[in-house]
Amino acid sequence: MTKAGDWQSYQRVLLPPVRNLHHLDAYRAQGGYDILRTIFNDWKPEDVTQCVKKSGLRGRGGAGFPTGLKWSFMPPANPAVPRFLCCNADESEPGTFKDRQLMEFNPHLIFEGILIACFAMSMKACYLYVRGEFSSWITLLERELACAYDANLVGTGMLGTNVNMDIILHKGAGAYICGEETSLMESLEGKRAYPRIKPPFPAQQGIWGYPTTINNVETLACVPLILDRGADWFAGVGAQTHPGPILYGISGHVNRPGVYEYPTGMLITDLLEIAGSMRGGKKLKALVPGGASVPVLRADMIEGVTMDVESLRAAGSMMGTAGMLFLDEDTDMVAFLRRVARFYHHESCGQCTPCREGTGWMENLITRIDDGEGNLRDLDLLLDLCDQMEGRTVCALADAAAWPVRNTIKRFRNDFEKRCRPAVWAGVA
Amino acid sequence: MPHVIIDGHIYEFEGKPGLLQFCLDHGIELPHFCYHPSMSVPANCRQCLVDVGAPVRDRASGEIQTHEDGNPVIRYFPKLQTSCSHVIADGQVVHTARTSKKVARAQQDTLEFLLINHPLDCPICDQAGHCPLQIQAYKYGPEGSRFEFQKVHKPKKVKLGPRVVLDAERCINCTRCTRFTDEISKSHQLTIIERSVKNYPITPPGVTFDEPYSMNVIDLCPVGALTSADFRFQARIWELASAPSIAPANAKGSNCYLWTRDNLVLRITPRHNPNVNEYWLPDEDRLVYHRFNANRPLGPQVRGAGGTLCEATWDDAFRAAADVLAKAGERTVFIASAFATVEDNWLLLQLAQSLGAEIAGYIEHIEPGHGDGWLRTDDRTPNSEGCRRLGLMPVDAVVLRARLAAGAIGALYVLEDDPIAAGLCSVEDLGDVPVVLHYYNTTNETLHAAQVVLPAAMVAETIGTFVNEDGHAQRVVPAKAIRDTNRTLMMQMGLSRADRHGTPFDRWHNEAHYVNCKPSWELLPEVARRLGVDLQHGGPRRIMRKISEKLPAFEGATYEVMGLQGVLLPERVAEEAPENA
Repeated sequence: MTKAGDWQSYQRVLLPPVRNLHHLDAYRAQGGYDILRTIFNDWKPEDVTQCVKKSGLRGRGGAGFPTGLKWSFMPPANPAVPRFLCCNADESEPGTFKDRQLMEFNPHLIFEGILIACFAMSMKACYLYVRGEFSSWITLLERELACAYDANLVGTGMLGTNVNMDIILHKGAGAYICGEETSLMESLEGKRAYPRIKPPFPAQQGIWGYPTTINNVETLACVPLILDRGADWFAGVGAQTHPGPILYGISGHVNRPGVYEYPTGMLITDLLEIAGSMRGGKKLKALVPGGASVPVLRADMIEGVTMDVESLRAAGSMMGTAGMLFLDEDTDMVAFLRRVARFYHHESCGQCTPCREGTGWMENLITRIDDGEGNLRDLDLLLDLCDQMEGRTVCALADAAAWPVRNTIKRFRNDFEKRCRPAVWAGVA
Repeated sequence: MPHVIIDGHIYEFEGKPGLLQFCLDHGIELPHFCYHPSMSVPANCRQCLVDVGAPVRDRASGEIQTHEDGNPVIRYFPKLQTSCSHVIADGQVVHTARTSKKVARAQQDTLEFLLINHPLDCPICDQAGHCPLQIQAYKYGPEGSRFEFQKVHKPKKVKLGPRVVLDAERCINCTRCTRFTDEISKSHQLTIIERSVKNYPITPPGVTFDEPYSMNVIDLCPVGALTSADFRFQARIWELASAPSIAPANAKGSNCYLWTRDNLVLRITPRHNPNVNEYWLPDEDRLVYHRFNANRPLGPQVRGAGGTLCEATWDDAFRAAADVLAKAGERTVFIASAFATVEDNWLLLQLAQSLGAEIAGYIEHIEPGHGDGWLRTDDRTPNSEGCRRLGLMPVDAVVLRARLAAGAIGALYVLEDDPIAAGLCSVEDLGDVPVVLHYYNTTNETLHAAQVVLPAAMVAETIGTFVNEDGHAQRVVPAKAIRDTNRTLMMQMGLSRADRHGTPFDRWHNEAHYVNCKPSWELLPEVARRLGVDLQHGGPRRIMRKISEKLPAFEGATYEVMGLQGVLLPERVAEEAPENA
């Protein structure tokens, strides 16, 4: 049992300190694929789903939806109707780089998770959708997947059983929107990655219109661990409502940025310490706790806040992908927001009006403020635009674009007002 | 019966209707851009947002919870719903912009967004005047704009294909055009490129947007982004009047509107008819209108002593035609026309019968391989089925030429067609057989061999009935006025014409645009009268009533029944002899 408090004694499981773990031999030497064989021989699919449900695993892709529950949404298996698993490795949120580490250092854990998930939901195939920019990791995944096929761990008659499963690597073209599950499916089908309207949900109509479950890389990587070590072990790691080991992608003005594996529910201050404190001994100014889209927290808001859904919600932010961006006291919040707004403007797919037009307008306004030509009323207009965008689009990209703007302005309004031209000029009576 | 409450009014419904379509069907206006009833629902314009609530059910019992006053407890969806993608369920409560400030604000916000990068060049835009964006911006949009930056620039006047021009800056990315090519015409010739605010529809590299239905995207486009290469900058929409008509370029009889200004037809757009063409119209049907305006005859002509066609008065022309017929008598051969209406062909039959002469049939215009099983057919005439239902068969060219060679034909009376261009016979074949010709355009090659030529009103100018290849009888009404004063035609012209085109005081009024022609249902009785035959009929409406009473193949095809949507005629009994008529 590892509680967040005694993180010093935490033993890494997602990215264990084993040399050459990305090679099949090294992975199998660590007991890899053993649990897969056990499950294939002795388990029933429902029990796997039940076990994952019991573990309390929540999606690691940002939304934090309970994984077992998601799996149970799949309609009953029907041999006549194909069904697919999709592994979302299109990691492209600014400040998030955890899945990349998994792909680089522990790809077989991902494969094993995929196969177990396929078994649990009676699927024959999984699409592994990898972001196009990750070309070197795609090469690595391809090589390791071929090894797994050769070792008869995947493919026809895998593990000496009569089960066939395939993992299909698919290379995206690098659009942020493809990380949204429905547009990922559109992209996979060879279409323009416009998010679909839900309902129908992917469990009803997903890839090619067939029932589909889509999970994040890290989520699936947790699955073999849960089945190997038991749901109770997993549920006992970290925060109660959001348990398990998690990869914290720490970046920004810290001394040792990087991906750190620890239990969920870590104190933010502890994590800052782990990452070697602020660079140059500066003071912390702001923290983005879960990737660029989640609301930014002021330094005075993180006292006692832990990295789990409830605590962060209470603090006024979100867990997201646990990609933590620490910003020091010299940070220009206007410039920071300008960069974030530029990203969402550039990556909006342009399907829905509010997001297509709103993201560009926001960038225009913030750029003007950053250039010192903004007016105070621009801040109110920006907040107004957030209202006009939030919750009015097919997917959540408009929300993701509006939250940082709204919260950065709300929480650092002084920084913004200082950069704006005064509403009333001095000397004008 | 399940019900839904929209803006406080209760509506009953059946099945699982989409909310937006349900509202439109019940006369509740909801602004929208991307939704089209015959295509998939992308819900991307976000204009049709409404507030939807559903009654709360008790989890255990499944009963609907009620307030103390007996009204059900309504729980509203956390977000506004796009009505196009929302399927109505029993007991739901819907608030549109009329009863919800939240919805009104959301719709206003969407319009503000749509307009920030829209060029607002309405004064030079073809769509202005019937532009959904313009109309809805006035009705639901904000006052002015808070946008103070340079608008996004995108390609302008891009020729997507031979008939469609794109102005990407005007595009609001509703994807109606790409969905049309993907789902309806299946040519896949358009796609959206770029991302975010820069995206716009265009052809993939190396592809030209030249499919035979390409111009439908112009009607679908809710803004002026896709315009017709042909109609672009020709007229303002409020200067045009429209008349419901039938497209004459093939035997499908697609329903259309003819748009006229100053008595010239300037464009043709589709008219919704679920039984014939739904919302669509092939390009060939849209581009026929040049025939209505150009190369039109100046008036009736009679071949004079010198062998040239000389202008004549209508009276002289009728007399000359009657002379030709009187001289040839029974040896006259009549040729009906699949371009002419059922009424005109019927009158020709009557005239032939009264002379005891024979009708050789109608001239076929078949272009093998042209049809596509949808709205284009091999048959390039609008009324061949109508002719067949009158008992007329295609003319046998071999027989006709043999009889001409044998001197068995005393005169040829051709209704609204061109036998020489159609290859039926040549000028040499005709020899000195006198020809009376009803014709549309001065390009008619039979003019060179004709004795008497009578300009006939075209589909845009006449009243009549066409039967499409599926046996659908449909009416046309005049869109253009003729020079002649004809009370029947004027009555049918419709009010939208009179105020814009009826008087010489219009600033664009041009007398030359009034063609000196007459409908064949006026020409034939005039010729007959001079032969002592009474073909008075009291107008095409009465002719059609008589036909529908006499011929089982036209049963029920009166003007009243046909209305604007036409009527499906009974199955044709094979091979009806003309004698039955």
